[in-house]
Amino acid sequence: MTDPFSLAAGWLHETLLLPALYAVGAMEWEEIAFGWALFACYGLAQVAVTFAICLPLERWRPVERWPDQKAVWVDVFYTVLSRVGVLPLVTFVLFYQLQVGLNGWLSDHGWIPPTLERLAPALLGHHLLTFFLYAVILDLSEYWRHRLSHMFGWWWALHSLHHAQRQMTFWSDDRNHVLDDLIGFVWFTAVALLIGIPPMQFPLLVLLLRFLESLSHANARLSYGWLGERLLVSPRYHRSHHSVLAAGQRSANYGAILPWWDVLFGTADFSRAYVRTGDPSAEEALATGSYFQQQWAGLRRMARMAGWAGPRRAAGLKRGH
Amino acid sequence: MRLVLALFVLLTSAAWGTAQAGGIAIVLNSGDASLSLIDMAHGTELRRVPVLREPHHVALSPDGRELLVGDAGANEMLFLDPRTGEIKRRLPMADPYHLAFSPDGKWLTVTGLARNQVDVYDAASMTLAKRFPLSSMPSHVAYAPDSSTAYVTLQGTNRLAAIDLRRLVVNWTAEVGATPAGVLWLNGKLLVANMGSDHFAVVDPVDGRVETRVHTGRGAHQLFLSPDGKTLWVNNRVDGTTVALDAKTYALIRSYRVPGGPDCIDFAFDGKLWITQRFIQKVAVLDPATGAIQSLAVGRSPHGIFLTGGER
Repeated sequence: MTDPFSLAAGWLHETLLLPALYAVGAMEWEEIAFGWALFACYGLAQVAVTFAICLPLERWRPVERWPDQKAVWVDVFYTVLSRVGVLPLVTFVLFYQLQVGLNGWLSDHGWIPPTLERLAPALLGHHLLTFFLYAVILDLSEYWRHRLSHMFGWWWALHSLHHAQRQMTFWSDDRNHVLDDLIGFVWFTAVALLIGIPPMQFPLLVLLLRFLESLSHANARLSYGWLGERLLVSPRYHRSHHSVLAAGQRSANYGAILPWWDVLFGTADFSRAYVRTGDPSAEEALATGSYFQQQWAGLRRMARMAGWAGPRRAAGLKRGH
Repeated sequence: MRLVLALFVLLTSAAWGTAQAGGIAIVLNSGDASLSLIDMAHGTELRRVPVLREPHHVALSPDGRELLVGDAGANEMLFLDPRTGEIKRRLPMADPYHLAFSPDGKWLTVTGLARNQVDVYDAASMTLAKRFPLSSMPSHVAYAPDSSTAYVTLQGTNRLAAIDLRRLVVNWTAEVGATPAGVLWLNGKLLVANMGSDHFAVVDPVDGRVETRVHTGRGAHQLFLSPDGKTLWVNNRVDGTTVALDAKTYALIRSYRVPGGPDCIDFAFDGKLWITQRFIQKVAVLDPATGAIQSLAVGRSPHGIFLTGGER
């Protein structure tokens, strides 16, 4: 069956991107632009699906009601920047030569990134199982990236932009400082060099995972039950991570999709229910400023904290913290 | 019941026989990590073979026994049975994007587009003879007929590189035009399709000097010589056209509208051209006599193509 997203991406590429690249003499970016077109089309679908499901859910069973939702509009902007691919494209272009150089240097030294399928040939042809295993490994790597972003003072200063939102909704997932996103990209690249991540091989499944991440930020009274909460990160579970009580370098519930890592490494907290969100120590601009005000405030906070911040002892939040 | 069974067997064997007569088209779906195997006689997809990441180009081994498919994203070379498309073995290899055997069968040159490297392998043992770091984006390969030199387009720096295969050194690199992609040896010259322009450059293989430029259409991407050596085919990716030129005079014979970013071509025995359409998940089957095009659905971003019933 012909994939409608791919057809839309093909149309976008052939009709707009390719003639534009040709006109400005940048045809060497043609393959990358085609990849981005696909990413952008799936991103738009992600936004549409998330909107269609999460918005009614937030209206139906909201945790909080606010007199106005001005602060949410900035998060909408973050989402469009991130999901439709503007930020990933810029990051990719910025890092392209670095990646090429690093890949070349590594292959000169005999390093060819392994793949799970090469390590376990039985996986070949079992797409769903392979994807599941990659998703589990990536989620583990995301757990540690996220946890480290809380441990280091300067990094937390950047990441606190994500936590400053007091009106947390499904739009808040992509609310990140641009430097925090860049670090995330480098992290992902490093993991890719280690395990050879399939790029857009499973776009529909990636769409599903990104939907779950958005849903976990929803302003909705939604729990998956005792067992479900331990299998998949729910809005209730992730809200604890964003709670005013957990904001800072000692937090809980770092998992993005799977709560398993929190359970395994002692940072799970299943006790709280539907607490208020935000970071009381953050300056107001981080919470309610415009996109650029938030970015600037994040930089200022990082500069302030970099003076004294260093590696903090990994410390998970215990129950009842 | 027996009659029905007999009819079924008769019909399926007849269909299989026809399929065998027509052969199989192997299409490399670079966007969804698979190979489409198409029954050429009926234009139907027989099956889709999963590969690891991102297959781009294909080359038949000098003895015709193996079909090599470069899976660039997986850093892996696949060796297929060229008659059935079945994967026989796999070999770890850094970023195999485009690949070609030298005419004498001694060398296999592999470009690593994402790693700025060109690897020359001893074809018999598949061992790396030498790696050439070449900036940037080494794209396609062609050889001198005496196998003395491999020529590689460098998309990112608008240059063509000449690699001396006897001494394993880079003889020269020379500027040939905007975003050079396909390259072909013809009439004692090198033809280089400049994707950032609307022409191919005719290049002196001795020093890389551009002698003349021949207009084909915007986004000139790949060049192919027909099996009888009389027609030069060029795909223009931006214009969405495939043009036929006289292989001696380069005079335009006819231009065909092939939408969806025409890329690689293989030639069938019946005279038709099978052309991958990168952006619309299809393969166009073009009858040059009538200009009629039949499009067949395949996977995402189809790139390289090989016809088991092709004319070589």
